[in-house]
Amino acid sequence: MTTPEKNGFPGKGLIKGLGITLKTMVSRAGTQQYPDVEPELPARSRGVIGLMESNCTVCMLCARECPDWCIYIDSHKETVEVPGAARARQRNVLDRFDIDFSLCMYCGICIEVCPFDALFWAPDFAYAEGDIRNLLHDRGRLGEHMAGVPAPPPHDPNGEPSKEESTAAKKGGAR
Amino acid sequence: MTMPVWLEIAIRVAGVFAAFLVLPLVVGQTEHKVMAHMQGRLGPMYAGRFHGWAQLIADGVKFVQKEDVTPAAADKHVFKLAPAIALVPYLVAIIVIPLGPGDLVAQPLDMGLFLVLAVVGVGIVAVLMAGWASANKYTLLGALRAAAQLLAYELPLVLAAASVAMAAGTLSLSGIVEAWRPWWLLWQLPALGVFFLAGLAEIRRPPFDAPIADSELVFGYLTEYTGLRFALFLLAEYVGIVVIAALTTVLFLGGWKGPFADADLGWLWTLLKVGAVSFVVIWVRVSFPRLRVDQLQRFCWLGLVPVALAQLVLTAAVKVAT
Amino acid sequence: MTVTDVLVCALGAVSLGAALRVVTSKHLVRAGLWLVVALGSLAGVYLVLTAELLAWVQVLIYVGAVVVLMLFAVMLTRAPIGPSDDLDRAKVPGVLIGGGAGLGLAAVLVDAYRWREVGLSDVEPGDAGAMGREVFTSWVLPFELLSVLLLAALIGAIVVSRPDVGQRSR
Repeated sequence: MTTPEKNGFPGKGLIKGLGITLKTMVSRAGTQQYPDVEPELPARSRGVIGLMESNCTVCMLCARECPDWCIYIDSHKETVEVPGAARARQRNVLDRFDIDFSLCMYCGICIEVCPFDALFWAPDFAYAEGDIRNLLHDRGRLGEHMAGVPAPPPHDPNGEPSKEESTAAKKGGAR
Repeated sequence: MTMPVWLEIAIRVAGVFAAFLVLPLVVGQTEHKVMAHMQGRLGPMYAGRFHGWAQLIADGVKFVQKEDVTPAAADKHVFKLAPAIALVPYLVAIIVIPLGPGDLVAQPLDMGLFLVLAVVGVGIVAVLMAGWASANKYTLLGALRAAAQLLAYELPLVLAAASVAMAAGTLSLSGIVEAWRPWWLLWQLPALGVFFLAGLAEIRRPPFDAPIADSELVFGYLTEYTGLRFALFLLAEYVGIVVIAALTTVLFLGGWKGPFADADLGWLWTLLKVGAVSFVVIWVRVSFPRLRVDQLQRFCWLGLVPVALAQLVLTAAVKVAT
Repeated sequence: MTVTDVLVCALGAVSLGAALRVVTSKHLVRAGLWLVVALGSLAGVYLVLTAELLAWVQVLIYVGAVVVLMLFAVMLTRAPIGPSDDLDRAKVPGVLIGGGAGLGLAAVLVDAYRWREVGLSDVEPGDAGAMGREVFTSWVLPFELLSVLLLAALIGAIVVSRPDVGQRSR
C-alpha cells in the first residue's frame, strides 16, 4: 500500500497514478474507427500481392521460390514471326497465374525474386471470404490489386545515386 | 395553491423512481466513456448514433432477452429473491437524501443519516444470500469476502458520519447541510476521506472489489446470475455509487450550498457535486489495482478506523472549544 | 381498530411467524434468513410505535451486523443447500426455556401495564434527542456498565484470536 518512497511522501505513487489516468483522458484516444474510417497504412504494408501481367515472362522463379507453394502458373509457347529476322522467335504466354492466399504467408519472397518487377505489395487487406476456396486469386483479380500499389518512394537525397543514374552519368561523361 | 396530499405523494414517489432509474444510468454511461478515455480508447460509439449515448439502454434490452438461468443445485427461492433485496436498501436511502433546500426531499426525516447507514448495511444480507444460494464455491467465497469486508468497513463509515453529525448537532440530513460551513471542508477533511473510502468498500467498487475479483473468483457472488437478475445486481452497484456520492455530498461537501443562488439553484449544486464525486469513484477505479483481502482488512483496521477515531476527538475538541 | 393497531398486529404476526420458522426450519441458512425477517418486522413495530431511533438501531445492529455475523459463521462451517436431517434441536428443553422466558416476559409486561391505554400522541417520540437525554441522565450507569462489558468482550476476542498472547504466559 502506501510505502514511503525515497524522496517523496506516502501516497505519492497513488497521486501519480491518478495524474496519469487524468492526462490520458484529456489527450486524444488512439482508437481507429476502422469500418467507418479507412486506416492510413504505411506504403510498405504487406496487404496483398498485385500482378503486373505485362512484365511477367513466366520464368517461374516466384513459383519455385515460394516456401509454401501457393503460386500456380500455367503457360504455353507462342511463335512470333519477326519480319526480317533469321528465324521465328518463341515467347511464353501466360495462361494462368493464381496465388492462393489461404496458403500464402506473406513472406514477400516472390516479389523479391521477380527479376522483371511483375509482382508488387499493395496495402489492401480486406479480402476475407466466406469460402476458403475463394481466397485463390486468379490473374484478373491479382491485376486489380495493382490499383492499390503505392507509387515508389522518392529517392533518398543523401543516399547513393541509383545504378541507372550513375551509369547514365558515366556514359554522358565519356561522351 | 396547495396540492392534494395524494398528488404530492405521487409526485415524490415518481421523483424517487426517476432518480433511482436515471441517475445510475447516467453514472454507468459516464463510467463507460470516462474509463475508455482514461485507457486511451473511445468506448461505446454506435448505440444511439451519437457517441453511444444509448449503450446502457441497449444493454438493458440485451439483458431482458437473455435466458434466466437458475443452477440446478441452487436454493431457488433465495437465489431469486437476492437481487430484489440488493436493490431495496438503496431505494430507501434515496428517499431521505435532500436534493435542495426546504421541501426538495422525498421524505424529510429527523434521523435521515441513521436510516441511511442502517439500510445500507442490509445490503450485506443480499450478497450473502446470492453467494450461498448459487451453490458454487466461487460465489460462496465471494460472499464471505464481501461479508467480512462490509462488516469491517461499516465501522469507519459510521464513525466518520458520526463525526459530521456531532459537528452539526443533528442526525437530519437537511439539518447537516444547513449547519455546514465552508471551513468544515478542512475541519472534517479526514472524515471525508474515511467516509469516501469506506463508502467505496461498502459498494464493493474497485480497488475494494475483492468479493467480485474476476481474476480469482470468476465473478464472485454474481457468477451464477444471468439476464435480468444480473442486471438488477449491476443496477444496485450503480445506485450504490449514486447513494455514496450523494451522501458524501450532503455530509461533507455542503449539499445544495453553492457559490450563489442556493435557494433557487440548490438542486443543481447538489447534482453537480454528486456528479463530481461519482467521477472520482470512476477515476479511482481506473487508476488503482485491486487490494488483496488481507491488505483490505489491514487498511480498514489500521488505516481508516484510527483516523476516524482521531477525527471524532478533533471534532469533539473543536465543538467544545467554540 | 386504528391503522396503528392493524399495523402493529400485522407486523407482530409476521415477526412471530418468521420466528417460528427460525426454530422449525430444517434449512440451516434459511433459518438465519427468517431471523432477518423476524427482526426486521420487529423494527417495523418499533417504527409504528414512534420509537424511530430504536427501529433503525434494530436494523443497523441486528439485521445489518448480528444476523450477518451468524450467517457468516454458518456459511464458514457448513451451509448445506436443502434440509439437514442431523439438526440436534432439543425439543423439550427448548420449548421449556423459550416458552418460559416468553411467557414470563409477557406476564411482566401485562402486569405492568394492565389494560391502561397510552395514546400515541401523548408519549414523547423516541427520537435521537429524547433517547440521548435518557441514556445520559437516568440510565447512565447501565450504559457505562454495558460499554465496560463490550470492552471486556473485545479484549477477550483479541486474546482468543492471537495465539502469541497465550503462549507467553505458558
